[in-house]
Amino acid sequence: MDAKKILIAVDASENAARAVGYVADLLAGSSGFAVTILYIERPPNRDLFADEASWIEAGQAQELRIRTFLQQAKTTLTGRGLAPQSVTIAYVPHCQSPVNDAAAECSLGTSIARDILQFQQRGDFGTLVIGRRGVSRAEEFLFGSVTTKVTHLAKDCTVWVVQ
Amino acid sequence: MSNAYEILSRYDPEFPRKRAGRLLTDTTEFMNIQYGDVIELDGTYFLVLRDEKERSFGVEDPKYWVKRCRELHTGERKILKLVFYEKFPVSLGSMEIECFRSPRKEARILDLVRGDGRFMQGYSRDDAAGNNVRVLDVVQGELLSLAIDRLEADHKTYFFELLPDILDKFAEACRAIGFLHRHGENHGDIRRDHLWIEQGTGNYVWIDFDYTYEFRESPFGLDIFGLGNLLLFLVGKKFCTTFNIPRPGFDGLADVPLEPGDFTLLFRNRLANLRKVYPYVPRTLNNVLMHFSSASEVFYPSVDELLEELLPCIDEIRRRRINT
Repeated sequence: MDAKKILIAVDASENAARAVGYVADLLAGSSGFAVTILYIERPPNRDLFADEASWIEAGQAQELRIRTFLQQAKTTLTGRGLAPQSVTIAYVPHCQSPVNDAAAECSLGTSIARDILQFQQRGDFGTLVIGRRGVSRAEEFLFGSVTTKVTHLAKDCTVWVVQ
Repeated sequence: MSNAYEILSRYDPEFPRKRAGRLLTDTTEFMNIQYGDVIELDGTYFLVLRDEKERSFGVEDPKYWVKRCRELHTGERKILKLVFYEKFPVSLGSMEIECFRSPRKEARILDLVRGDGRFMQGYSRDDAAGNNVRVLDVVQGELLSLAIDRLEADHKTYFFELLPDILDKFAEACRAIGFLHRHGENHGDIRRDHLWIEQGTGNYVWIDFDYTYEFRESPFGLDIFGLGNLLLFLVGKKFCTTFNIPRPGFDGLADVPLEPGDFTLLFRNRLANLRKVYPYVPRTLNNVLMHFSSASEVFYPSVDELLEELLPCIDEIRRRRINT
């Protein structure tokens, strides 16, 4: 694994923004790094919507928010001196995405953490950066935590958890 | 047939004419559907008898979107669940999550579990306005929790004589939930009100699958926590709480020091460490219960892992019964 290949796994949360900001500060003015900002799509739960149209509408709103976030994240990194060509955005759609066509690489949605790690392994990323929000243990038990699972399952790479 | 009276006079000539209501093919306005109305669904007629009621703490809460009906052609009692997109917060101890009712989810699970006696049975049809109506068989029997509550045995007798058989059936109910999980579904609202004992077979039957919420990294965690709560109820023959333990009628040790870590993760007055008040609870079983306590560092990630540790405990209780 190449430690200078850095993967930042994000959603559109403040914690993800902090993780991006941390990498930007750390690498400011450095060269030789390649940074990928990764988002694994988690569409709104289809069962929560009365009809297909309202589900698609919610999916579109979410996608717009995420894509805006990803662009802002890239701007944050390049704004601190990283070369634009060394910063890549990766958006992995859900396999049943309401807004994105089926792609060769898609997420089944069963575990975002496993999807992140699969992307990291395939891309030979030696450093994985992820934000963490302070969840209670109860919440972590009941709903799980992507960050916790990533730190438990990650192999052959360094994981930076930004809180 | 163009009105409810004509339909009723054909299928139920005794039905009083003055009580005949409207013939409905659109169930959108479910609040206005009442006794005597006839709902037509895909060529089948259902006479509305009353709104279903949920009973808790002695209070009856009408569920206007759930109608007790009689299928006029067969005379069978049915429950019709009409579309009600409700979004509401559910408090889980100190946590609050946003829940939704999803007819679509329930309809899908009804298809998945067709013929499986561990689940309520039924089917869904769209009404003329496209509302997904679920037509449910009435589960003949009673709530498991009420049946347990009614048992007159003291806790020790209950624990050694009755609990092993109860836990065998509970384990099957857990496997049923595991079946849902393997198919990417969850129950969504596992609690005492949603597990029945079927009359005749004594089998445990899950009802009501329409709750859902936004999934996160562990989509089945809430179901597993619900199973843990039910297990605590079954092992204790009730929930042992800071309220009932000090009371004179409590049938276990009441003068033991209890610490915050002895109570459940979410319900801080509900005891998980039952061995403290019932010392004959084997350590292995108590260890399973303690996975749901606030002191636990690990949580069961799957129903299979819960069962892997629970099943040997049932045999252990049986062996101890023989030895005692």
